[in-house]
Amino acid sequence: MVKDRPILFVFRFVLGGLFVYAGLVKALEPLDFAQNIRNYALVGQSLSFIAAIVLPWLEILAGACLVAGIWKRGAALVISGLLIFFIVLTVVTMIRGLDIDCGCFGAIDRKAGLSVILEDLAMLYLGLCLLFAPRTSS
Amino acid sequence: MSESGRVLRQALALGALAILVAAAVHFPLITRFARGEFRESFFQASAYPGVRLITVEEAEDLWRTAHAAFIDARRPSLYDEGHVPGARNVPASETDKAVPSDVLSSSRAGTLVVYCEGGDCQSSLLLAKRLHGEGFTDIRVMTEGWKGWTAAGLPEERGDGQR
Repeated sequence: MVKDRPILFVFRFVLGGLFVYAGLVKALEPLDFAQNIRNYALVGQSLSFIAAIVLPWLEILAGACLVAGIWKRGAALVISGLLIFFIVLTVVTMIRGLDIDCGCFGAIDRKAGLSVILEDLAMLYLGLCLLFAPRTSS
Repeated sequence: MSESGRVLRQALALGALAILVAAAVHFPLITRFARGEFRESFFQASAYPGVRLITVEEAEDLWRTAHAAFIDARRPSLYDEGHVPGARNVPASETDKAVPSDVLSSSRAGTLVVYCEGGDCQSSLLLAKRLHGEGFTDIRVMTEGWKGWTAAGLPEERGDGQR
């Protein structure tokens, strides 16, 4: 785990920025995102709708908190938790053999597959570094 | 207060805040959902003028009068097992976005009837949106799909005729 403060500072901006961006593109097209969730064939129409409304804002808020340096650890916990969920979801989707868009960054279409998992693992590493970063004096 | 308790509280607060912001920002959409919209599909007809959802009966009329070109959006293997006679197979997977060139070369004003398996299959809508994006102006989606067509006892054709 990285404990170097300048590097952790960069991690915060990279991970927070990515989450703000991913959240914004989905919050702009909630119905498209709802359909993406529905395509995973795990939850019904209503839950897909609710998740599509709330999830992007959770990403935006957690990402913004990381960038702004407010509630850094809480935000890192939310983001790490989301990433673990996304990784499990993508693995399950691959095992089930579903050919669907991951819905990760809205309209930028990508199949739910290995590259998504690797990307999520890389982001999870950043998230866990931030979550378990040594306490600063502040 | 323990550090882990504090972190957990922050995370929960972020979750609560996300729900509040989402409810405020998407209030009009939530109202529409509460009124019963989007229960069948998240497809918004108003966003795709020219795309209409039709019944099997309407599709049958168009087929009998040869007023429309039929497009089967299912996998080739399902198409081979049986399809609407004369239908062209354009599999609309989530990841393959291409519309075949011979479909693109047909008149944009012609009537197209798109269908998939039926039930809650989405590939016909997906393909309809793509065709709309390519400039077609009269796209009908037979929402009951292949299941609806066969349930109505309408003619079938087998084999890989127009793949």
